[in-house]
Amino acid sequence: MSGKHIIYALLLSIAGLVIQSTLFGESRINPFGAAPNLVLVLVVICAAYLEAEPALLVAFTSGLLMDLLGGSTIGLWAIALVVAAYVTLRVRDRIDDGVVVVAAGLLALSVLGHAIFAIASTLFGEQVFADPGWYRQIVLPSLYNLVVAAILIPLVSRAMGGRQVRRMV
Amino acid sequence: MQSFRRFDRSTSLFIGLLIVSFLTATIDVRSQGAGIGDTLRDGTQSLFSPLQEAASVITRPVVGFVDGISNIAGLRDENERLRDRNKELEAQAQNVAGLQNRLEELERINNLDPPGDVLDVTAHIFSVGVSPFDHIRWINRGTEDGVVVGHTVVDEDGLVGRVDYVDETTARVRLITDTRNGVGVRDLDTNETGVAEGQGSAPLRLRMFNAVEPIEKGHLIVTEGGRYAPGIVVGSVATTAEAEAGFSLIAEVTPAVDFSRIDFVKVLVGWLPSEFTAPDDLSEPIPDAPDPFPGS
Repeated sequence: MSGKHIIYALLLSIAGLVIQSTLFGESRINPFGAAPNLVLVLVVICAAYLEAEPALLVAFTSGLLMDLLGGSTIGLWAIALVVAAYVTLRVRDRIDDGVVVVAAGLLALSVLGHAIFAIASTLFGEQVFADPGWYRQIVLPSLYNLVVAAILIPLVSRAMGGRQVRRMV
Repeated sequence: MQSFRRFDRSTSLFIGLLIVSFLTATIDVRSQGAGIGDTLRDGTQSLFSPLQEAASVITRPVVGFVDGISNIAGLRDENERLRDRNKELEAQAQNVAGLQNRLEELERINNLDPPGDVLDVTAHIFSVGVSPFDHIRWINRGTEDGVVVGHTVVDEDGLVGRVDYVDETTARVRLITDTRNGVGVRDLDTNETGVAEGQGSAPLRLRMFNAVEPIEKGHLIVTEGGRYAPGIVVGSVATTAEAEAGFSLIAEVTPAVDFSRIDFVKVLVGWLPSEFTAPDDLSEPIPDAPDPFPGS
């Protein structure tokens, strides 16, 4: 694993942030009141290709940037993305089990990332669960993430030099 | 003797990053968005805002195309909705003259300034929140244009939100739908006051603590003053609710602003809540805008 791949992962994450904040969301593309979470998808996919430590650091940096560009307390998305990346590192050996397993895993990781954020936000006084439609803000983006992942996986794979998914944590 | 398995390096790093994240969040909450958090936001925003503004220009046609497609699909529903709305507006128009008189009377009684007289700066929304839980907008106006934290933000339909972070060239607007936002409001028909609380993706929740009269569907709700400039339309009551002694009256309010369609907004730079004081460097007139603090 070269530093080049880590930089590519960071650049992909930054590009994801810029696209997320200008193309998706309220008053942008927002089908049924929700949009995919590009950064979360990119962090999970990159974690499948990078070594463990760089993958966690990329997740932490991406989360911190999300917090700084969003409206939440700094550190909450960092927590959510670091947890999502760590779980990805632990289960990425199962990636050869087929498309269905990968899709189910990605869906579960997306739900986990959003749920961790919602819980951490509540702990820090943000009233995420005061929104009666909070579950939609967790489930719908996770479903959209599956569609987005179908486009992003080949892109990330190419950025990582077509390398195989890593086996060891 | 019990043996302990050491954490591997990645688990140690994972725990370390979680601790750092929790500490960062704690510091940010305790400093209430100021201090190191503010500095980091300043730096990040100044790096990202040119990228976001450029991306916004590029993605606008894509957003417009998708919007157009979805509009075609929903055109029939929209037509029916507009017909119904037209009937409602015709009925409302008959009451407008009376309401206008009552509004002027209320403004006189409460020493409220009509929002039309407040100086404003027009701003373009170049970025939205980065997560599904964000109810914010980034606008291309900052302290250089006279915008400070606390300014009320409106569009042609009514109240949009409030500036809660600002740097030299950009500002963050927290929408009234944000769950952390509460707006002091007044029912124009009953003159009762209360608070309209954000509920994220759901309509606003109106609470009136000492209401005597019921509020009915269609009643117009306006800002009362305090944290937001007074007399701005917040929305209309969506559910009729009766007042009961000993209980706060709770109803839903549909915001007047369609948050999925706002592109340009106005920042009321001539009105600031009393809880905030103007920075020294803003006491001078602004080059492209009138003095935001007349009389200071």
